[in-house]
Amino acid sequence: MSLSDSERERYSRHLLLPEIGAAGQEKLKRARVLVIGAGGLGSPSSLYLAAAGIGTLGILDHDHVDLSNLQRQLLFTTADVGAGKALIAQARLRALNPDITVIAHELELRGGNALEILRPYDLVLDGSDRLATRYLVNDACVLLGKPLVSAAIHRFEGQAMTYVPGRGPCYRCLFPQSAEGLVPNCAEAGVLGVLPGVLGALQATEAIKLVLGLGEALVGRLLTYDALAMQWREFRFARREDCAVCGTQPTILDLPQEPAADSSGPAPGRAARLKPQQLRTLLEGPGPAIAAMAIVDVREPREFSAGHLPGALNISLADLSERLGEIPAHAFVVFVCRSGNRSRAACELAARAGRAGLADLEGGMLAWAAMIDPAMTVAPFG
Amino acid sequence: MITVRVPSPLRSYTAGAAQVSASGRTLAELLGNLDRHHPGMRFRMIDEQERIRPHIRIFINQREVQALTEGLGASDEVHLICALSGG
Repeated sequence: MSLSDSERERYSRHLLLPEIGAAGQEKLKRARVLVIGAGGLGSPSSLYLAAAGIGTLGILDHDHVDLSNLQRQLLFTTADVGAGKALIAQARLRALNPDITVIAHELELRGGNALEILRPYDLVLDGSDRLATRYLVNDACVLLGKPLVSAAIHRFEGQAMTYVPGRGPCYRCLFPQSAEGLVPNCAEAGVLGVLPGVLGALQATEAIKLVLGLGEALVGRLLTYDALAMQWREFRFARREDCAVCGTQPTILDLPQEPAADSSGPAPGRAARLKPQQLRTLLEGPGPAIAAMAIVDVREPREFSAGHLPGALNISLADLSERLGEIPAHAFVVFVCRSGNRSRAACELAARAGRAGLADLEGGMLAWAAMIDPAMTVAPFG
Repeated sequence: MITVRVPSPLRSYTAGAAQVSASGRTLAELLGNLDRHHPGMRFRMIDEQERIRPHIRIFINQREVQALTEGLGASDEVHLICALSGG
């Protein structure tokens, strides 16, 4: 797979590096890399990978561009608001580098499709915004024997690690189980816009090094970045013999067939998602209907104190398993939180404990404040 | 006193502080003392069976620890690491 004259010019600064040269650039051209999430991390990583000449670049996202994304997601412009992220990203990356193939995966990664989607790629970058997806991607990479460069961000802090099959620990060796709902995402906690730029560029660097076989990968090393202190730290961690997916006697031999959203536990099939207008209708209903309903706010007490729905009971998600008995046994339970992640996890936890008649507020108190009650104070999480 | 580095998801317990000090001859003692000054913080890291929660890792200096019985010296730095989900 030789380079054309225009490619030689485009990649001339790479070709000048003896560590890369024409042979290395041809390796990049032959490489197939998948970026999961066209968000804060996926934007810089995919742009750099496209610019670097990764021959086949996949970008996976099922979401649409929101105005609040533009503070950090550099793949998109104001004109893209409302459009599908994967297709816009594909067009943007093709415009940056028409010599490469860009594949848009406009879908949600699930247990039922992850192996099929990841299989054709040599390497995966995880920039997703949900813990359940992170575990799904990790497990898929381990099962398929694909290297994975993982990064995550929160407020002013980021972390990154690389998994290479047979060479070191996987993401589950570091954090064995999902704690969905206990770990806030960007929509809940906020994030410094430039932070994913740093971590996403780091992911692209790792990917390029892995393709080229250069340097030392972040294998068995968790790299943390504190933007406020401007400090990087490195923590070594080992492969766990009892890791559920890469250990000596793995229990995860295939992926769950339910959606990624439910991969941290049984599907909350019995739980409904109420839109703010639907919850308002219920709250404005006849007295007996309200009496049979329990609003349970699973945010931290500090967040609850700042503003909550009238009559709501506050049991933080961390305490819910212990305090489930405080919720009236036959009530129709509506869990609420800040943005709808913790309430979803609460539904799953309550369903696993055998409770029925469960629902949660879609979009959480942020959606409630936006659509129903602008005077509602919604405190930040974390 | 031992320096404890606090990850941002747990800083709501430390009034936003990224670093706090606490005493303790073992990790268990240190976490107990931390909880006295920052109520509720220990439960976010340690479950009812006295195990480190699976989305939390604790390092003494750069070394990962699994047991709360791990001894501590005055010059040690304890790093609390929490899984992050943002992307």
